[in-house]
Amino acid sequence: MGLNRRGAEQLKKHTDQGQMTRVYKSPWDEVPLRGAGTSGSKGSNFFSKSPDEMASALEQFVNTVRTLSSHGNFRELCEYLNKSSEILLKNTQHLDNVLETLDTQQHSLGILAVLCAKFSAPVSSNSQDNRFSQTQDFILGCNGEQIRFAPDTFAELCHSLTSYLVEQRQPLKGIVLLQKAISKLRLYDSQLTSIHSDLCQLCLLAKCFKPALEIIDIDITGVCQEISHNPNGPHFDAKYFLLYYYYGGMIYLAVHNLDRALYFFEVAITTPSHAVSHIMLESYKKYILVSLLLHGKIQAVPKYASQVVTRFIKPLSQPYHDLANAFVSNNTAELNTVLNKHSEAFTRDHNLGLVKQVSSVLYKKNIQRLTKTFLTLSLSDVASRVGLSSPAEAERHILHMIENKQIFATINQKDGMVVFRDEPDKYSGPEVLKGLEEQLTLCMELDKQILAMDEEIQVNPQYVKKSTGLQDEEQPSKSTYAM
Amino acid sequence: MVMSNIDKLAEDLERQELEAPNGVASPQLYEQLLAIYLYQNDLCNAKYLWKRIPQSVKASTPELANIWAVGQHMWKRDFPAIYKALNSVTWSETVAQIMKQVQDVVRNRAVDLISQAYSSITLDTVSAMTGLLPDICIPACMERGWMVEVDTRIVHPVRHNLENLGHTSSEDQLYKLTDFVSFLEN
Repeated sequence: MGLNRRGAEQLKKHTDQGQMTRVYKSPWDEVPLRGAGTSGSKGSNFFSKSPDEMASALEQFVNTVRTLSSHGNFRELCEYLNKSSEILLKNTQHLDNVLETLDTQQHSLGILAVLCAKFSAPVSSNSQDNRFSQTQDFILGCNGEQIRFAPDTFAELCHSLTSYLVEQRQPLKGIVLLQKAISKLRLYDSQLTSIHSDLCQLCLLAKCFKPALEIIDIDITGVCQEISHNPNGPHFDAKYFLLYYYYGGMIYLAVHNLDRALYFFEVAITTPSHAVSHIMLESYKKYILVSLLLHGKIQAVPKYASQVVTRFIKPLSQPYHDLANAFVSNNTAELNTVLNKHSEAFTRDHNLGLVKQVSSVLYKKNIQRLTKTFLTLSLSDVASRVGLSSPAEAERHILHMIENKQIFATINQKDGMVVFRDEPDKYSGPEVLKGLEEQLTLCMELDKQILAMDEEIQVNPQYVKKSTGLQDEEQPSKSTYAM
Repeated sequence: MVMSNIDKLAEDLERQELEAPNGVASPQLYEQLLAIYLYQNDLCNAKYLWKRIPQSVKASTPELANIWAVGQHMWKRDFPAIYKALNSVTWSETVAQIMKQVQDVVRNRAVDLISQAYSSITLDTVSAMTGLLPDICIPACMERGWMVEVDTRIVHPVRHNLENLGHTSSEDQLYKLTDFVSFLEN
């Protein structure tokens, strides 16, 4: 609310004789907005009397915002705002004054437009940069119902804020703000907005992942159709969809949740497309590395992935396929050769750390393979078969793997032997039942979700039209589109 | 300090960090949060917290580096170095409590690991992994029912099966089963 107080003070300064005391009473109140520096020290100079054409355009802007807001004509207001961005851009030096005459809660849409204009205008070096604090006040205080009339503009503001913070190298500052912004824009928890990707980006840059995990742990079931002014109907920019899954995958990688990371990259590379996207390409590279880490081989890309992946993206990721081939051969020396050969490419892609993880996992994989052939083995044998330098090193690796439950074995230090045991029979007992229950609950949820989507399609006019047209006015039966 | 208290404290600290003006929180906050991550064995988050602490704070608070040194050894699972790093410094009021807990947790994990992974182990290794002198180790091992061969200095740990403590009421279970059956039937 500091903004309002500041606004009031400035008003007092600018208005002589206190003709205007408070400006928020009714939209019909005159607005004491003055073009700063236009008419010098002359006192009560309101828009209506101002010779300044620009200023009067702004005055009209403010009045329109107030009128339409108070009448609840938000749709009309949005249209008006879309047309008036030029006026705002031409008058950037007065925008702070405009903000002071509007109320965050009542005129959210108006403020939104002004803030967006402030971000897209070139920054003048002499004025103090108050964009962050203004945006902060706005996001925390704005009216969610209003901003949902202009989701694209609201998202644009968040994108601008994000790139501003990235430039300022202060990503941590925006995290709470974007969390708030997401909760204001989305209608339900599992709805994706384009702000999601901004939050992930800031969290990655700030190296602070917990806030992002809260968001990305929720499986997305719907997308906020942000761009409504489109001839082909409302849609969502694919860039932000891909970015969300790419950044999300990276966040899961950072916290070593490989399962989720693989899933996120999979979503990114199976997104329908006709052209190669860089985000998809990078996702594909990481997809290969993560599936090596997790499964020891490249997990087959789902069939529903678009042809772009096989036709263009695969050839572009040759170093990664080489690495995978070497990995599958279980030969440490060969893997290292590939690693050295392509190290430049891996470094350029910022994947060297992951690649190194892959190469260290090969030892583990080879130890795991030993358990299939041997019941007992001396530690020095393990070392020589896997390519480790000493028995002590082998013992260390085995110890780690036992701790992580990757193998079941017992070390006998007295004789320097290791005994590989069978996986203990653990298919009885309450924890199995618990796991089963959780899986079943997930399946039931999924089933419910599919049924709901199914129903939605059935009542979709376009679908009904098409399916009845095809079948000569037959009733669309349930089986016609069941796949 | 009880465990749930620590978890709650961690959440509080995380929130405070995010709300800190200009994104820089107090050194005490960083110290406590870093120590708590170690206590929770959440080394990933500890690592990234260390990475995001501003250089100036690190310079003015050398204890932060001491805490992270413990974390680094935990990352490498170098038990002797962990105990050394824990005990070579006198911890300040801010973190002393938590760091003591860290030591207990690490030791408990080491003991569990020994009993899971070894059928026989030298006393020296036990001593190194628990950070206790061999003389203290022997009675401690006996207490757990582990056999100690004093002349060869070999310990035979006993594997104990980890029991799940979680129990659900039968009524709850019945409810869930009904749910499943009705789902499968329809």
